[in-house]
Amino acid sequence: MEAVIDVQGVEKMYRRRVHALRGVDLRVGSGEIFGLLGPNGAGKSTLVKVLLTVIRATKCQGTLLGAKVGDKGVLRQVGYLPEHHNFPKYLTSRQLLRHFGAMSGVQRAQRNRKADELLEVVGMNDWANAKLGSYSKGMRQRVGLAQALMNDPKLVILDEPTDGVDPIGRKDIREILIRLKDEGRTIFLNSHLLSELEMVCDRVAIMVHGLVRQQGTIEELTDGQSGFAVRAMGPISDELRATISSRLSGIDAIKTNDPSEIVFATSDADAVQPAIDALRSSGVTIRQFGFRRPSLEELFVKAVQEHPDGARPGAQRKGARS
Amino acid sequence: MILMQTKALFIDAYRELNAKKLFWITMALNLVAVIIFASLGITQQGVTFWHWQFESMYFNTGLISQELFYKLQFTSWGAGFWLSWVTTILALVSTAGIIPDLISGGTIEPVLSKPIGRIRLFLTKYLTGLLFVALQILVFSLGCFVVLGIRGGAWEFGLFLALPIVLAFFSFLFSFCALVGLVTRSTIASLLLTMLFWSMIFVVNLGDNIMLQQREGWKLQLQDRQEAIEPQIRFAETRLEQWRDEGGAIPGEGDEPLPEDVTDVLEVVNPTLRQSRERAEQAEEAVETWTTWASRVFALKTILPKTQETIALLERNLISDEELSRLLGTGDNDFSPDEDMPAMADPRATKAVAESMRERSILWILGTSFVFEGVLLALCCWIFARRDF
Repeated sequence: MEAVIDVQGVEKMYRRRVHALRGVDLRVGSGEIFGLLGPNGAGKSTLVKVLLTVIRATKCQGTLLGAKVGDKGVLRQVGYLPEHHNFPKYLTSRQLLRHFGAMSGVQRAQRNRKADELLEVVGMNDWANAKLGSYSKGMRQRVGLAQALMNDPKLVILDEPTDGVDPIGRKDIREILIRLKDEGRTIFLNSHLLSELEMVCDRVAIMVHGLVRQQGTIEELTDGQSGFAVRAMGPISDELRATISSRLSGIDAIKTNDPSEIVFATSDADAVQPAIDALRSSGVTIRQFGFRRPSLEELFVKAVQEHPDGARPGAQRKGARS
Repeated sequence: MILMQTKALFIDAYRELNAKKLFWITMALNLVAVIIFASLGITQQGVTFWHWQFESMYFNTGLISQELFYKLQFTSWGAGFWLSWVTTILALVSTAGIIPDLISGGTIEPVLSKPIGRIRLFLTKYLTGLLFVALQILVFSLGCFVVLGIRGGAWEFGLFLALPIVLAFFSFLFSFCALVGLVTRSTIASLLLTMLFWSMIFVVNLGDNIMLQQREGWKLQLQDRQEAIEPQIRFAETRLEQWRDEGGAIPGEGDEPLPEDVTDVLEVVNPTLRQSRERAEQAEEAVETWTTWASRVFALKTILPKTQETIALLERNLISDEELSRLLGTGDNDFSPDEDMPAMADPRATKAVAESMRERSILWILGTSFVFEGVLLALCCWIFARRDF
């Protein structure tokens, strides 16, 4: 798959003290929905801003839509919705869309048509002539999304697009994202709402303290962590676990935090039956059995916890232990 | 695309101005000022305002024409006060937020993510700030042009020079305002510091005027005092001859010693000559001192924007040297110098200062001011291009 974003070793140091990005390697393929996850201060927005020339990287190699990162011309094909945007309140949404369309080099007739079309798409056509100052946060977010699409971008970068949007609005936005993907556009999402990312993303990357810790499809990331889970009524003793392991040769048990659960790294239900027999013969009551794949949230929490300071907000300061 | 983006930024700036009530308040005030301008008139007896008449020995059609009267009003209070003070202050209040607003979080990111270079973005935004003043000056100048045409009988297109001149004047201050706004990100700080900077320039201008007035005043005093010495020398020489004829002892000749505190025998014969020579020496020293100070202030002014001289360019273009001379009064023939009068109070000095100001070259006035503005803008561009938002 052709790479839309392909960067290596992206570093950003603020005032020679705060190490916001510490060598990020990232590859986003054409036509996919890519999600970037990470705790507060992980460097997600910094990375996006580096790609969009809002921030100058300390070190950066790679390309954006085939052009060197930092090339202004390529931004003509990129749409962007920042996280805490503050669009001029004296503009109506139609004026805002036309303004940003012009700033992206869209011809007048096209931007007039496109503005009306997009306002319809984001459900804001009834508010087209009302000033942004009178909008709710969710409405501003919808208009912001429309703004990011004014130039028919090949790559759409959205930073927390559903922030402040009600459930119906979120569903609408998800549908828009899927439609954009179907049109062949690439979507890069920054979001904290992991369940939403899980619903739409083809691939994700987890970023902790300025480094991408994992990236791939959700299946790839959960590889080796999904399997059949057996859940008992009470804790399963270590002796019993050892007995079960000896009976299931060649199938590894996946470590979980739940003492009443055993997860086997296999997708073959028959292969797990001896374990169930062993449990039952030991008098253990089984309350649940089924195939289990870790959620994105679990993956995320695990990745963050694996890093010593992962859960702590803020970028890495120089001299601090990584 | 460059043209499209520039147009979009200007339209956006216009909408922003349109949304600010202060823009329309200033516009309305400008129209009121034009109405006041139109209400002024000049007759043989003096000045009129609506139906009131004020007798004046300086302003009447016997001394100045209607055309000159209106041009004078336009340059003195129209441009010299209204545009360069009232409109400028209101414009600064309205535009001080342009750069801080541009770089505020949430606003700058979507703009910078567009295919527009940072320097071009900054400079275009800077120019949109000047749009406010340009529109205000244009309305005021157009109104005054019509008034001068109808009431003064002269369609003086030179009035429109107010547009580039006042705009240049405002841009000197606005460049400073933009720099402070960029560094501090605060509208209030940029407004207050610009006002402070403007006050500093005002003080320097005031100092320049005082130094020039002192220098020219003392030059005239030196001239007067040197002229006063000649008749006293002649008087002393006549008296000395009389002494010789009467056979009296002449100090410094023969055995008669010359007193220590005199320069020559003439001062013995005419004691006031000594005083006059001392007064001339004092004046010479004062000329030297004030010339040095005037040069220092001039040097300081060279690196600062020339706000006062820039606005005065309008007067230079609209009022000829001859008309100015008539307005200031020839004075030389009517004036009799008073020995005790302070040098600064000499009315001839005022005229000499006005002439000295007019002699300052346009290259120095505008050239160095634009260099100042250019340096500030270059600094702004450098900061803006390198900053992370």
